[in-house]
Amino acid sequence: MRTISGSSSPIIQTQALTKVYGSNGAAVHALRGIDLTVQKGEFVALIGPSGSGKSTLMAILGCLDLPTEGTYTLDGRQVQGLSGGELARIRNEKVGFVFQSYNLLPKASIVRNVELPMLYAGVGRRERRERALALLEKVGIADKADKLPATLSGGQKQRVAVARALANEPALLLADEPTGALDSKTGAEVLELFRELHQQGHTLLLVTHDPSIAALAERRVEIRDGLIAVAEGVA
Amino acid sequence: MKTSGAFRERLFGAWVEVRENLGRSVLQALGVMLGVASVLGGFSISDSQRKRADEMFVKMGGLDKLNVQPRAAIKDGRPTALQQANLGLRDADAVGGEALKSEAIQGVSRQKNTRTRIVSAYADQDRQVSGIGGDFIPANGYGIAQGRGFSNTEMETGAPVVVLGTEAANTFFPKGDALGQSLRIGNIPVTVIGTFQERVFRFRENQGNQFWWRNRIIAVPANLVQRRMNGDAYRRVDRVTFRIPDMNAMSDFAKQLKNLVKSNHRLQEDFRLDDVAARVRRRQSQGSVYDIIFMLSGVLALVGGGIVNVNIQMASLKERVREVGVKMAIGASGREIFKGFMTEALLLTALGGLAGLALGVGFSWVITKSIGIPLFMTPASFAWAYGLAAAFGFLFALYPAWKASRLSPMEALRYE
Repeated sequence: MRTISGSSSPIIQTQALTKVYGSNGAAVHALRGIDLTVQKGEFVALIGPSGSGKSTLMAILGCLDLPTEGTYTLDGRQVQGLSGGELARIRNEKVGFVFQSYNLLPKASIVRNVELPMLYAGVGRRERRERALALLEKVGIADKADKLPATLSGGQKQRVAVARALANEPALLLADEPTGALDSKTGAEVLELFRELHQQGHTLLLVTHDPSIAALAERRVEIRDGLIAVAEGVA
Repeated sequence: MKTSGAFRERLFGAWVEVRENLGRSVLQALGVMLGVASVLGGFSISDSQRKRADEMFVKMGGLDKLNVQPRAAIKDGRPTALQQANLGLRDADAVGGEALKSEAIQGVSRQKNTRTRIVSAYADQDRQVSGIGGDFIPANGYGIAQGRGFSNTEMETGAPVVVLGTEAANTFFPKGDALGQSLRIGNIPVTVIGTFQERVFRFRENQGNQFWWRNRIIAVPANLVQRRMNGDAYRRVDRVTFRIPDMNAMSDFAKQLKNLVKSNHRLQEDFRLDDVAARVRRRQSQGSVYDIIFMLSGVLALVGGGIVNVNIQMASLKERVREVGVKMAIGASGREIFKGFMTEALLLTALGGLAGLALGVGFSWVITKSIGIPLFMTPASFAWAYGLAAAFGFLFALYPAWKASRLSPMEALRYE
């Protein structure tokens, strides 16, 4: 277990986060006031049944969506009230996404998929290529760099997705059911990769409904009906 | 994106997209292609036609010539003493006119014609005889085929010599030995000293020779007609022609000449000048109606193609919502997505436009070939065709690109 210096600022800090969909008449309160703090280097599992609001929370934490009310600070940056362009910039620089369905661009080569976030960040051509290849090396599929995603197995695709998520050295890695589409063996391999990343100091937030996967995390936060129901582990 | 290579990257992405969706891309480029082809083809056909008409004018020697011809000064009643004493169009008008603007005038010719009986050993016909003076032969595009033209002395003295057009030579001397033979014009025996080259001009290849009548010419010195055939004491002429290639100089000159001749003629307008202004207007307006029609049809094709493109783009956007969502999730801004879509549309426009230019050239070639005129294309036609395509491609790309850029990343990612 890693020790976190108490004085360092948290990666995620939310206060009274609410999210309401729709208007007054047919309003759906997806989040009803979430207070969540994740310190640098933590490995947190976000669990909860479907409809609990965990996907909404993940979207807001990943800056894909804005909260209706409350404050959210990501790596020292206030998120609420930002424009679409500024949010895109934060997603680009501070968040790395790993999705259940990989979400690789099918027409771009593996290495280009990994390069893409750096492209949006304005990294030069040569540096981009070097860093992308290094990342592919790190996740163990450097030999497939010039192949198209369709030629890879599910586990390999997810490794590419992880490499892409790491491209801009994000403050936060967000994984949404990353093993949901994989068989248990390859799933275990991907989880092992996450464990290694955690050991290297990355901050991980893993969204899952599977308690056995959540058990790998240092800390589990359970969402139910838009509220944090149970928080266990080291706070 | 901040780097200078950003555009190149987008172009690459757009190219991948185009290549991977070949069917859709071809369909989109097709509209642009047809639009460009029809604008270019229309302009080129109209240009070719106009060029041909210009060529005809030049060969006929139409545009660069200002003719002065006599006109009856009296319409009703009896002529006044002044009118009766008037001298009419004559050599002095030609000489005075030339002095007005000698630097712009490239030639002055006079004509004094008659119609009379012409007899050779083989034929006996009533024919027009052209008495010519000054630079008539070069100014009217005639060339000597056999023998020679008139010498200055022959012109001055009105020597009994004749130069025949090919038709006239064949009619009066069918054996082809006209040179040196004798011909009777009215009562005067004249000697054939030369023949003109045949004049041929067909507007379209399969049409008849529009210059056939020029080969009927029977040319003698104007002074011969004046002194011995159809002359009068005032040495009047039937036509004075000034050759001025510069249109602007011609407009000025026409005004000055009118004043000069009028004062020469005791303020009687017993002459007629070609209407230079009307000629300039006609020259400028020629074919412009067709240009407008062709441009309109091209624009309609481009609008049609553009609407098809919007439809295809919107349909393909549905397939690509998820892709847009992924790009947004990894940090592409709405602006970036917009630029990506625009680049793609403009790349298609550019490619379709190039294909359209090629098609337009082929199209114009086939049409001009089939109506039998030479193909003539100007860079301006290419620029117009391509420019219009680019403008419409840009305009019609805006909506789908804007739509794509406005997708919410959240919803786009969840889209199935």
